[in-house]
Amino acid sequence: MLFLALRQLISKKKQTLLILLGISFGTMLFISISGVMLGLRVYISDALLNNTSHILISGKENYVDTSKITELISNKDEILNWITPPIGKKDEAKINSYQGWVKVIQETPQVFGHTPRLSIPAIAIKGDFEVNMKIVGTIPIEQMKVSQIEDYVNSGSFKNLIGGGNKIILGDKLARDLGVSEGQTIKIFNKDSFFTYKVVGTFKFGDDYIDGASAFANLNDVQMLNKTPGRISEIAVSLYNIDDADEIAQRWSILSEDDVKNWKDANKMFMEMIQMQDAVRFFVTFSVLLVAGFGVYNVLTIMINQKRHEIAILKSIGYGQEKILSLVLYQGLFLGITGGIIGMLLGLTLTTIIGNIDLGFQLGKSNHLLIDYSVSTYVLALIAATISSIVASFLPAYSASKMTPIDIIRGQV
Amino acid sequence: MIEAQNILKQFGEPAQTVLHNINLEVKKGEFVSIKGRSGSGKSTLLYILSTLDTPTSGKVLIDGIDISSFSQKELHAFRNLHIGFIFQFHYLIPELTALENILLPPRNINKIKEYTDDAHKLLKRLDIEDVTNKFPAQMSGGQTQRVAIARALIMKPKYIFADEPTGNLDTANGDTVMNILIEENQQRGTNICLVTHDPDYSKMASREISLIDGRIED
Repeated sequence: MLFLALRQLISKKKQTLLILLGISFGTMLFISISGVMLGLRVYISDALLNNTSHILISGKENYVDTSKITELISNKDEILNWITPPIGKKDEAKINSYQGWVKVIQETPQVFGHTPRLSIPAIAIKGDFEVNMKIVGTIPIEQMKVSQIEDYVNSGSFKNLIGGGNKIILGDKLARDLGVSEGQTIKIFNKDSFFTYKVVGTFKFGDDYIDGASAFANLNDVQMLNKTPGRISEIAVSLYNIDDADEIAQRWSILSEDDVKNWKDANKMFMEMIQMQDAVRFFVTFSVLLVAGFGVYNVLTIMINQKRHEIAILKSIGYGQEKILSLVLYQGLFLGITGGIIGMLLGLTLTTIIGNIDLGFQLGKSNHLLIDYSVSTYVLALIAATISSIVASFLPAYSASKMTPIDIIRGQV
Repeated sequence: MIEAQNILKQFGEPAQTVLHNINLEVKKGEFVSIKGRSGSGKSTLLYILSTLDTPTSGKVLIDGIDISSFSQKELHAFRNLHIGFIFQFHYLIPELTALENILLPPRNINKIKEYTDDAHKLLKRLDIEDVTNKFPAQMSGGQTQRVAIARALIMKPKYIFADEPTGNLDTANGDTVMNILIEENQQRGTNICLVTHDPDYSKMASREISLIDGRIED
């Protein structure tokens, strides 16, 4: 029946072309919107992952627990009232069993890389200028596996931190606020003492809050600066597949008292935004494909009405219901697949054009929109186009298959 | 052999009886014509005999088998292999050439190759070789009807049912169509049931059945 189905479509060139246009337009829209939105998402999540990581293990803050102290010093039957209840912190947040975590991490095959970090507040000083900031001590080689940080370094290189020796990479805005650039030295003040650091690079994530108040240095240097050798406050872990983060974080979180957060929990607001984008993307696509589906339905219904007698004659020659059904479904299938493929090509062209537009400002690594070209989007688009066409052609197909030759010949339908 | 037993056919609401208690036997190799005025129920009778329509009550036996016992599938297969239809309109598929139209019944059972030679022979026999690769829109009325006849004959059916096959044709073409039917009946012994209101064509049959107001006139 495929043969006859195609013949019938070809004989109705105008209608067929119009419907193909409708379907391919829908597919193209889906691909372009997805390309831009998913590209934007890659940009956003890259930026987010520079601050956190797929999974971040961090020590709990050690606050003084009033009720526990009360319990310890009082008898059971007397009620103890504090004039001033004990409040305070026993210690900085730190990870107590780094070795234990390393063992757990190494036993997890999904892990791509991990680095211990010590993140402390400090004051950066150059001449009369002082800026409060956060300095993150890390193992440079490992940090570069955990995030794409090297891509965001706009002068010098993150590799300069390898080996330590009081070198620092400053946020772009922080460096400007201090009035320093690569190769100059600054003073870092922490816990009553000054250290001199050499600026070996700057990075720009595009977020002024981060670029203006954070810096990276070698882990050993920061531990020295904090006067706590061997201490780490967090472990950043990256995975081969970011989608595993949820499950692994959950598994690890019961292992110890430390906080285990996956990057989604750490960036709830952005994740909600991304979900919203997804909803918009699917809604737009759904609407367009719905319209295209109605087009298919329309054309096939008209076609069947015009071809009642031919369907009757086919049935009287012995063509069964399923053959008539497949005759119409093949047409829907053909329209869906062909329209989908044309739409994929149009979508690819359109996204390529969009991706080459010079925006005139820096967005992430370049001044172009980041476009996502993942195969899954194209496959999804083709499937959606095909399914909507098949669904749309099913009703006309079914009504055609139910026609009886005698009713048509008698002219009662 | 086709036997009709007590065929009653009613249409509509309130029921109007079109065929009253028809008993009929078409013997093997017979050429039967059913004549009558329009509205006499002759077409309805033909469609009931040819399995396309079902009677309100009564039975149709083909070669001794009650056709109401056939499943839809068996019925389609039976029509495909053993029955050829010719209508007043040719009902050719406009997107297919003459040859492709003729090969529609074998296409249903995926036997196009086996029947291609037969199709060419039929085209030759019906003197329409020159339209082999033409589309229906490019043929004359007589040619389209002959293509339709070729389509009815391609499977070498046991039965041919023709509903006013000459109705849209001029005398010359009408005569040709009738000659083809007579030839088919005499050479291959094909059972032919013909509905016509043309008395001359009706007389060409080996037996005439006359219907008046849904009853067979003796």
